[in-house]
Amino acid sequence: MIRYLMIRGKTITSYRHGTSINVSSSSKQHGVEPKTNLIELFIDEKAIQVPPGTTILKAASLAGIEIPRFCYHERLAVAGNCRMCLVEIEKQVKPVAACAMPVMKGWRVKTNSNLTQKAREGVMEFLLVNHPLDCPICDQGGECDLQDQSMAFGNDRSRFVDIDYSGKRAVEDKDIGPLIKTAMTRCIHCTRCIRFASEIAGIDDFGTTGRGNEMQVGMYVKKLFMSEVSGNIIDLCPVGALTSKPYAFVARPWENYRTDSIDVHDAVGSNIVISHRTGEVLRILPRVNEEINEEWISDKARFSYDGLKRQRIITPMIKLNGELQNVDWKSALVSVANILQDLSTNKCAAIAGKQADAESLVMMKDLLNKFDSELLTTEQPFPQKGAGVDLRSNYLLNNKISSIDEADVVLLIGTNPRYEAPIVNIRIRKGYLHHEQKIGFIGPPVNLTYEYKYLGQSVELISQLKLGTNSFRAILNNAKKPMVILGSEQLSRPDGAKILAEVQSLCKAINNSTKVPKYWKIMNILHTNASQVTALDLGYSSSLDDLKKNKPKILFLLGADDPCIKKEDFSKTFIVYMGSHGDYGASIADVILPGAAYTEKCGSFVNMEGRSQQTNAAITPPGMARPDWKIIRALSEIAGISLPYDNLNEVRNRIAEIAPHLLKYGDIEPTNYFSQLFEISETIHGTFSDNPIDIKQKTLDQYFMTDAISRASVIMAKCVQAVVKQH
Amino acid sequence: MAGAIVRSFNLPRKQLGLLGQIRNKQQPKNYSDAASEGKKYGSPLKDEDRIFTNLYGRHDWRLKGAMKRGDWYKTKEIIDKGADWIINEVKLSGLRGRGGAGFPSGMKWSFMNKPSDGRPKFLVVNGDEGEPGTCKDREILRHDPHKLIEGCLIAGKAMGACAAYIYIRGEFYNEASNTQVAIAEAYQAGLIGKNSCNSGYDFDIFVQRGAGAYICGEETALIESIEGKQGKPRLKPPFPADVGLFGCPTTVTNVETVAVAPAICRRGGSWFASFGRPRNSGTKLYNISGHVNNPCTVEEEMSIPLKELIERHAGGVIGGWDNLLGIIPGGSSTPVIPKNICDTVLMDYDDLVRVQSSFGTAAVIVMNKQTDIIKAITRLISFYKHESCGQCTPCREGISWMYKILQRFVEGNAEVQEIDMLWELTKQIELHTICALADGAAWPVQGLIRHFRPEIEDRIKNFKVNDLVSC
Amino acid sequence: MERILGHTISDFIKAIKQNGGIINSIKVLHRMDAIKLGKLVGQDEFGNKYYENNNNFVCRNRWVVYNEQLSLNYDASQVPPEWHGWLHYKTDLLPHQDPSRKKYKWMIKHTPNYSGTELSYVPYSTVKPKIEPWNPKK
Repeated sequence: MIRYLMIRGKTITSYRHGTSINVSSSSKQHGVEPKTNLIELFIDEKAIQVPPGTTILKAASLAGIEIPRFCYHERLAVAGNCRMCLVEIEKQVKPVAACAMPVMKGWRVKTNSNLTQKAREGVMEFLLVNHPLDCPICDQGGECDLQDQSMAFGNDRSRFVDIDYSGKRAVEDKDIGPLIKTAMTRCIHCTRCIRFASEIAGIDDFGTTGRGNEMQVGMYVKKLFMSEVSGNIIDLCPVGALTSKPYAFVARPWENYRTDSIDVHDAVGSNIVISHRTGEVLRILPRVNEEINEEWISDKARFSYDGLKRQRIITPMIKLNGELQNVDWKSALVSVANILQDLSTNKCAAIAGKQADAESLVMMKDLLNKFDSELLTTEQPFPQKGAGVDLRSNYLLNNKISSIDEADVVLLIGTNPRYEAPIVNIRIRKGYLHHEQKIGFIGPPVNLTYEYKYLGQSVELISQLKLGTNSFRAILNNAKKPMVILGSEQLSRPDGAKILAEVQSLCKAINNSTKVPKYWKIMNILHTNASQVTALDLGYSSSLDDLKKNKPKILFLLGADDPCIKKEDFSKTFIVYMGSHGDYGASIADVILPGAAYTEKCGSFVNMEGRSQQTNAAITPPGMARPDWKIIRALSEIAGISLPYDNLNEVRNRIAEIAPHLLKYGDIEPTNYFSQLFEISETIHGTFSDNPIDIKQKTLDQYFMTDAISRASVIMAKCVQAVVKQH
Repeated sequence: MAGAIVRSFNLPRKQLGLLGQIRNKQQPKNYSDAASEGKKYGSPLKDEDRIFTNLYGRHDWRLKGAMKRGDWYKTKEIIDKGADWIINEVKLSGLRGRGGAGFPSGMKWSFMNKPSDGRPKFLVVNGDEGEPGTCKDREILRHDPHKLIEGCLIAGKAMGACAAYIYIRGEFYNEASNTQVAIAEAYQAGLIGKNSCNSGYDFDIFVQRGAGAYICGEETALIESIEGKQGKPRLKPPFPADVGLFGCPTTVTNVETVAVAPAICRRGGSWFASFGRPRNSGTKLYNISGHVNNPCTVEEEMSIPLKELIERHAGGVIGGWDNLLGIIPGGSSTPVIPKNICDTVLMDYDDLVRVQSSFGTAAVIVMNKQTDIIKAITRLISFYKHESCGQCTPCREGISWMYKILQRFVEGNAEVQEIDMLWELTKQIELHTICALADGAAWPVQGLIRHFRPEIEDRIKNFKVNDLVSC
Repeated sequence: MERILGHTISDFIKAIKQNGGIINSIKVLHRMDAIKLGKLVGQDEFGNKYYENNNNFVCRNRWVVYNEQLSLNYDASQVPPEWHGWLHYKTDLLPHQDPSRKKYKWMIKHTPNYSGTELSYVPYSTVKPKIEPWNPKK
């Protein structure tokens, strides 16, 4: 109950509800029988039927009438304090706040009457009384709610003559970290940032101090805003009080080009907009996708873009006399093609990195197959015992990200979703706050922004849960919609196959003891790498050990930068690194072929739930770099086996031959064959190793730099420093 | 604060009349007109009709003394009669909330008297008496706490509450201490707690001290404050009767309202209703302060003429009645009324609404002709500016703007048209906020401009002349 | 001869003779767009030859024939400053006959305008590169 109190105004229905709504100028005329559970009211003489509990603002937006607002945000609790959304209701003296007032039958709401307009004008005037005239130097200019609404609803004269006597309010700026720039004098006290911090981010550090006109929004003490999703308050802030520090004074929004794309820093596949100009990525913003990221993105997705400009590989390189030298494309490709001559079976291998796209993965697979090799694996190993990559349900987050908040019990095994997939963590927190979700956790103790039942760190706990000797099993048994989420990191352990099989049998046991709806899937895996599911879908089914055993003559690293790939293991192997950044992988390579980063190519990515999406090329690859699939195409030509794909469409047709679902962008193929999966899993025997379950990303400083792009980013480095300093 | 609480949110038009008439001259009808029979004005109260018999602390305030004065007498019987009887009796008495808004208490309590949905219910007693001029609750809290505690029990029974929270203003240290002692006594005597008064009814009372914010007198801000959060008013709906303290149904009532409940139940609702004009019935604690010879708190009948109240109890205005400039009749948030109105006006809800003021908490602030009325109102606005919680835009920005303008009015450093602008500002602030603090800040200014506009204009003219001379 | 053929024609024939016969004259015509008759007054260090014919009116009476090795790649900036003065009537004294013309050690050799050639001057960039390349040695 106390949990619920955090969300004020519980009468407000969530956006899920407004399903069956009829809008008509006159319901009788169209012969629409009002349904018993709908309320009819009139907004500006327009009849509309909405479910009970809908707010006026929501009803108006369904009727196509926009009511101005500052503090209201549909994904946050209602605060109702800006008073911009005041509307008149006929026969009521007082204008009411549309954002908070649930509709009543027969109301006649006037959103454009004299009273309403005057109220708006008054509020606008009050807001501007103490708002600085910063617009020419304010980064929010052009996307500022206050600007727009004062144009639309404000008065064109100023009555504020007190400026000659007393001036405007000035507030000291706060330092809340390297990502967010504050100009608190501009603050209009809408409290969106406070509500975001406490509800979505789960950090109660934001709040107001002082009273009345001296009220200030801030962190109470000088402190870092320690959140992995902190950047979202920049988007939320309706004025320029909170702006992006790296983007400060860089560009105006109307000058930028916008390209819709996908984020590849984690396996969530958050939808983003790349804002760019003159061949440079200037900033990254979230794009609404209710199924995945709603409208949030993680800080790594938002701020690591400066890594795209540093540590780039812009020319091909060859190792001569132990040193990498810049060369032209021809010599680099010829030197690789020379090695590719006269290869016997399985003497050619490839490792897919974190951010490899489906196009390059499929080309690489075809290339290797031509040389009679199946040594294809991913940077993060996936156990091939049992179902392996044959059943999709074996390696997906089967239950979809959007239904995580519906679950009533969630068991997290060896994953820290807060840092591995912040968007997933937001979903779990949403379930925790709004749906009384219970969460169990196996792994090292971490702060997940919500309370969970800590079960321990031992691997044996999975068996205990399966056998029912752990008390948390009772909670799982009583659940209507339980979910088990296994971190993919655990699968790279030596006993990964056993863990996977054991978790699957646990899910089977839960399934047998509860009545779970048909569509509901208990077994889920949370991936951390954007390319992992794509690679598994395309049949990257080998393992790193296989590769080592076969002693390949040539090894391709498709942007693979994991330190688990050691030069010693491949001492006699010719290593070709194909990627965008000079990182660990490039440093051990014999030949480097410069590839494109995700902002520079059209690539398909499948996220952890099996949803395929594509990035779009916003800018061109720097220097001599080229999209990866084109490099492989050129290499194949020189090596004398010409892969027959000359443009993106032909490559994608090839993908469609292997895995047609990869081209159904935005859709999820529902997974099935769970009974078979569980059957196969029971054939796997083995023992757990004694090591307790560990997680790589335990604290915030471990979150920021996890891949080649974010490791190259100065902003991310600053974040790590700031967090370390805070401790 | 109490004076400004106006529960005009979700109520039918009829109840809105309370407020509607302040703004709306075209509405001549009021309750007393509707019920023309009954008394036309109140007369001095007889001693045996006084409810608060230890108002001045001349007797023992502890349990023994309180019982001697008749408290806790047959409380069990009252409780045994049940919730419906109590509510009916309160309805019969015509008791209206003493916190300022004057909402009928019987009706308010009956909102709570519905089947429980599993959540506990709470009674919250608002002892956060912060309104400048008002000092009635503290007399009850320190000199008659047992009346309040007994009232809590009875009111709690009426609404089926499981506990009462008495929220006492932080500055009232002795009051909170006395109340706490009285509660302890009542627990020891078995009057409250498990099986209170042997009636089988379990009822707890807790004291919660505030930290000195005026806004915490607003009911939802008070609830927030008890919950341990910043005292900032919540949005309504949901009303506290649905979602209140700790998310449970809650009623917030004034100390005085609760404290008179035992007397009503004991002596009957009709006895209480026999005082005052119809719809304004009962007795009331009046606080008279300012330029009077003998400032005091006194229990008196409702509807007593203002002039009689001051002459009889406060020893008259300093310098005589003719030296009177104006009176703020109901605490700082009510508009000031000039002398010619004070001559005839009755002290009750309806008559003060008729003269475009408000009864508020009946804290009469008398100002004689030595007062600088503009400065006085400016001082009040400075109080509201300081106490605004800062949530709503009109209140946060508007009141400090008003204050800036008024400060210049005090010197006269302004233009005449700014008076009209200030009037418009008050209209922009009024009714546009979550709680009624902004209204309470706007009304005194409206009162000032309504009745003392020539004074402001003179001040501006003089300033201009002096300015020219000094040049 | 002059009496029979008149000035123009005899001058024409003299000019063809001076330019080394008909074939050479066609080459000169191709290169210079004109066949002129005049007195060679000097040659500069670059091999450009300077002519004068005061029978022509002013502005047409002094000209330069660029070094033949330049073929068609000649331009006015190849004339050194001392000859430039004479060509443009700043002085009537030929550079090598001018006693007041000073020669200092620090005077650098004349260079033609290199714009458009590989030798042209390109200022170095003071702007940080947008992309910072990876340096494997670091």
